[in-house]
This record gives sequence, structure tokens and C-alpha cells, in this order.
Amino acid sequence: MASGGNGTGTAGGDSQATIAQRTWELSNNIETISAVDEIYHYDRQQQQDILTTKPWERDPHFFKDIKISALALLKMVMHSRSGGTLEVMGLLLGKVDGNSMIVMDSFALPVEGTETRVNAQAQAYEYMTAYIEAAKQVGRMENAIGWYHSHPGYGCWLSGIDVSTQLLNQSYQEPFVAIVVDPTRTISAGKVCLGAFRTYPKGYKPPSEEVSEYQTIPLNKIEDFGVHCKQYYSLDVTYFKSSLDRRLLDSLWNKYWVNTLSSTSLLTNAEYTTGQIFDLSEKLEQSENSLGRSGIIIGSDPHEKKGEDKLAKATKDSCKTTIEVIHGLMTQIIKSRLFNDVSCQNNRSPASEAIDVVMENPS
Amino acid sequence: MEVDEPAPTSQQNGNPPSTSSAPPSIVICGGEENVMAPSSTVGSITVSLHPLVIMNISEHWTRTRAQNDGKQEQVIGAIIGQHKGRHLEIMNSFELVFQIVDDLIVIDRDYYRTKEEQFKQVFSEMDFLGWYTTGDIPTPSDIHVHKQITEIYESPVLLKLNPLVKNADLPIGVYESIIDIVNSETTMLFVQLPYVLATEEAERIGVDHVARMSAADNSETSLVAEHLLSQHSAIKMLHSRVKLILEYVKAAQRGDAPISHEALRHAYSLCHRLPALQPERFKNDFYQQCCDVSLITYLGMITKGCEEVHQFITRFNLLHEKHAVSRRMRVDPKRLRHEELFNKTRQKRQSEATTSKIPPRPSTPSSQDSGNGIE
Repeated sequence: MASGGNGTGTAGGDSQATIAQRTWELSNNIETISAVDEIYHYDRQQQQDILTTKPWERDPHFFKDIKISALALLKMVMHSRSGGTLEVMGLLLGKVDGNSMIVMDSFALPVEGTETRVNAQAQAYEYMTAYIEAAKQVGRMENAIGWYHSHPGYGCWLSGIDVSTQLLNQSYQEPFVAIVVDPTRTISAGKVCLGAFRTYPKGYKPPSEEVSEYQTIPLNKIEDFGVHCKQYYSLDVTYFKSSLDRRLLDSLWNKYWVNTLSSTSLLTNAEYTTGQIFDLSEKLEQSENSLGRSGIIIGSDPHEKKGEDKLAKATKDSCKTTIEVIHGLMTQIIKSRLFNDVSCQNNRSPASEAIDVVMENPS
Repeated sequence: MEVDEPAPTSQQNGNPPSTSSAPPSIVICGGEENVMAPSSTVGSITVSLHPLVIMNISEHWTRTRAQNDGKQEQVIGAIIGQHKGRHLEIMNSFELVFQIVDDLIVIDRDYYRTKEEQFKQVFSEMDFLGWYTTGDIPTPSDIHVHKQITEIYESPVLLKLNPLVKNADLPIGVYESIIDIVNSETTMLFVQLPYVLATEEAERIGVDHVARMSAADNSETSLVAEHLLSQHSAIKMLHSRVKLILEYVKAAQRGDAPISHEALRHAYSLCHRLPALQPERFKNDFYQQCCDVSLITYLGMITKGCEEVHQFITRFNLLHEKHAVSRRMRVDPKRLRHEELFNKTRQKRQSEATTSKIPPRPSTPSSQDSGNGIE
């Protein structure tokens, strides 16, 4: 019915719009690729030069940031989501530009499994080569630049196995990057939860300890995280999109707002929230125990510190969960206000009255 | 409206698939270039489209263009997804290779087969559904390709995206083919299908993320503001739509706009649908949900309180111990008494703890306090 209303107004301006559109198309045809889309061009020579000089060998901290295309991001998020609670894995295609890596595309690999099983096997390698070869035929010239896998529900970091896989890849397949996506947290937090990592070579001591953003890690994984977290660093992640993407996304929003309004994070995340609270209770219990122990030996600072630390972390986790559910409730309340607290029976809106009048005398 | 326009130019570039909500309204009559079925034909299936496919095509086109120094070329690919009854869900796509032989597009079947096999390994639940290409309304050349596609899959759909349209609507059209008799010859014609955007929570967030990432600097924005902003923009959209309806109704009332009974009926039923949910059960459930959230909030607050009390006490203890050290240096009778008192209470508590069979637990008042708080 919106289009019905729309159509009445545009009848006169139709020809004008056509002309405007034509001129736009014309200018667009002449125009060379805009700067935004320059990134989509693949310069084989340049990439080969970079590959032969290998600037990353001199500096373990060579790559500082990573650019991910909108398409690669969407593909990764959707693929990890389709895996459910299983970890899935895929490969990234891209190139190098100075200190940054550029991920143009990604594709899924036919491997999935639990934590221990996620490392590419022989069959997957075969698939990889065949896929990249096939992609070259349709103008996707980039080579593999890394891999991604999902950590459903337990945050973006590299486990011990991931670190060794990445270390192996970095010694034989450079330049290579590891991306971790958490589809469960993406949904609960309402924003994409993704991290890009590179490992340090064996024996390398990072010069300064970077304070990375705190993230909740479930109790059964925390040891794995703690042991290996000094062996890699994370890259700054930025995203890019083409000018056509921008236009399409803008118009996509014209239809998409309904989905934003109709989604309820409280319901989709119920399971995750329960899991978080369960995890929290375990963490609190642990911190309580460690506090109790430290109490006996008064003055033994390391123990005291540890217990305190645990409590502080548990607090952060609980705050995060709280914020997420409050967000969910906020959405619900907004919607309830919008759609439930208005009624045209008791309090007739001018619109419905106007419709009534028009309907009664259609002359 | 479009039908009434006699000028052929308007058919060529005027309002391309601009009305996805009312698909059969676009009809191109006459001319030998016509490959569209008459407006009376209505598509037999419904289609839902995932934004990933749109992004995929967009990227394919942009990439080809960037690779060819800005020259625009038609791109072709396959779309895959799920087929349930009379409903198609287009979930993903991949590129196809084609050659141009005598100005006609020939799809590389071998390439298709390798790609299909690769996709089957990863997305086993998806089937081949049809193909996509770029450009305006379907042309005879599309029919030619479509015929090749039908050899792979008997009832494919065509998705056409026009990268050159600068319009508020999505420049996408979905078509299926029918065989009809035109001038006593069997001809393949396209019928436009209505489509809806399908989405899944993760995809929605991903799209939101890429759509808005450049607009806002993600450095120092509050979480709440971010969340409310997306709600706000959605409501703004709703508001603008409602306003449009209202304006039309007002215009109709004044007599400025022709009265469309169908539109009015829709608007009327929309108004009467509010309030959306009012029954007791909803109220109860909603109330319960609020309670749940309050409870979680309460839990968060308590944990935070514990942590703060604990920190305070640790610091207090530290201070106290320092004092105790300095006290021993210069004996102050007043302070000594204080310490005595403190030690006594501590002993008392310790004995209490052992008598009441509480497992050996915090002996200092500090840890006991926080321990209790956690419970």
C-alpha cells in the first residue's frame, strides 16, 4: 500500500527522474573505478614482489592490521552460524598491502568438529587447492592468506591447537593469518565478534605486553587460553565495502528494518544466557574457594591476588551478561510501547478516522 | 501506471524492477524484444532471498570491473538454496564461467560441475536453484542462457541485479520461466516473482555491522547508545512509512489523490491491528520475562557489590597491617587496645566457625564477609 501512495505523487516527476537516472548512468559509465573500489583490483606483479621480498621475516610484528571485505565477513559469520555448536573452518583469500593484510573473500572447508579436530586434513587440502584453482577462472586472483574457524560461545582467542596450526602455517605458507569468529556471542552482543591473530615465532618474547580487551572465557577453556595467550597478538580489524555494496546495503535497509524491529535477543539467546549464568556460578565458587584458602595463610600475596583477580573477572562477566539481557528487555519494552499501548478502538487516531470518512463517502 | 506509458524508452530504463512488493505491475507490451509474460500470469512460487547472495553478486561485479580497468561486464553465476514445496530460499551463490560464441553466452558446464561438487561437500543441504546475472530487465540473451540452465535443472529461477540503478529500492528482480504460445510458436517467457528478504539473526547483525561500520567510529561509543541507535533507525523507518500512509489518506480525503479502495482497506486493517498483543497470557509472559531480566540484573549487582566490598576490605586490611607494623615500633597504648580487641573478635569468630562445623574457611573478617556475600 506504500507503493500505492507513492505512485500517485511521482506520476509527474517520472520523466524527470528518468533523465536524472540516465545522466547518472552515463557519467557512471565514463567514470573509471572509484577509489573505494580500487582495492578490488589485483596486481599480480606487485603481489609477487612482496612475496619474494618477504618483509615479514624480519619483524615478527610486521602485520599490524587487517582489512576484511563485507562479503568475507558475511560469509564467515553465516558459515560459523550454520555450524551450530560445532566448530567450522574455512579459508581466506586475499593479498598484502604494506603492513596490512586484505581479506577479499572466504570459503568454507568440508571440515567440522570439536576443538581437537579442527585442523585441516588431507582431504581438506585437496579441496582447498581445487577451490582456489576454480576461483582463479572467474577472476578471483587472490591466493590463500589465512584461515578462519569458529568458537561458538567461548570467545575469540587461539587455543593451543590453533596456535600450533597457525605456527606451522606461518612457517610454510606466509603470509598467513588466523581469524576466529564467535557466532553465539555475535548474536548475544548484537555485534560481530571476530578476532584476527598472528603467532610469534617460537622463543620470541613480545616487547611490550599489550593490554587486550577483556573477554569472557568459560571455565573449562580458561587454562587453554591462559597458557597460550602470550604466543600470539591480535591485529586491528577494519572492514571495507565497494560503492555498489554501499548502495545495495542502503536499499537493503529499506526492507531490513522490519527484521531489526522484530527480533528478540532474549528468546534467541535464552540458552546462551543460561550457559553464561551457569559459568558464572562456577567461577564464583572457584573464587570463593581460592579466597578461603588465601585466608588461612594470611599475607601470602600471590594467592590473595589470584582470588581477587578471579572475583574481578567474574564480576566483569556478570556485568556483561546483565547488559546484554537489559538490552534485550529494552527492545521488548520499546516494542510493547509502540505496538501494544496504542489502540485505535478507545483512542481513535486521526488516520483511522480519516479512513472511515473516506470509506463512507467514496465520491 | 507503467503499463499506460506508450513510450518504449520508459520501458527500457524507466523504473526497472522497482516494485518488488507488487511484481506483476511491470509489464512490457509489444516489441519483438519482449521476453516477459503478460501481466495476468502470476508466478507459481514464492522466493526468499538472503542478503549474502546480494553481496556476493555485488562483489563479483565490482571485482570483474576492477580487474578490467573499469569496463563493465555482465557476470553470471549460480544460485543455490533450499526448495520446499512451492517456496524457494536462495541462500548462497557461486560464480560461473562462460564464453561468448557468436555473440551468444555459453555456460561452461564442466566448471559448473566442479563447483557444484565443491559446494555439495560444504553445504550439503543446498541444491542448485537457478542462476544470477547483472543488468536491467530480462533480454532474449537471458532466455538463451536460461535454456542452457534448464538442461541442468528443469525449473530454474533467474535473479537479475542492476548495478547501475540509483534508486531507493533494491534493484533486484527474480524471474521464473514459463512456456507459452506466442504467434503459434512455443516460446519461453519470464514471469517476475515476488520475493522477500530472509534473514537469520547472525546475518542481520553482520549486515547491520557492514552497513554502518563506516558511519560510526567504533572507538568510544557506549554500548547502550549503539543498541538504541539501531532500534531508533528502525523505528524512524516505521514512522516514515506510517507518515506516508497518513499523507495519502489525507490527500484522498481532500480529493487530491485518487481513492484506491484496496490501499484504504489495507491501511484500515493495519490501524485496527493495534494493539498487537493484549491477551492475559502475553501479559503474564511479558511480566515473567521482565522478572527474569530483573533477577539477572540483581545477580549482576550483587556480584559487583561483593567485588567492591572485597576490594575495600583487602585495602583496609593492607592499611591495617601497615599500621600494625608501625605500631610495634612505637608502642601506643590506645592502639594496642584496639588491636587486642580486634584479635579477640577474630579468635571468637574462628572458634564459632569450628563449632558450627563450617568447613575451615576464611579466618579473617575480610574473606568471610565476601564469602558470605557470594552465597
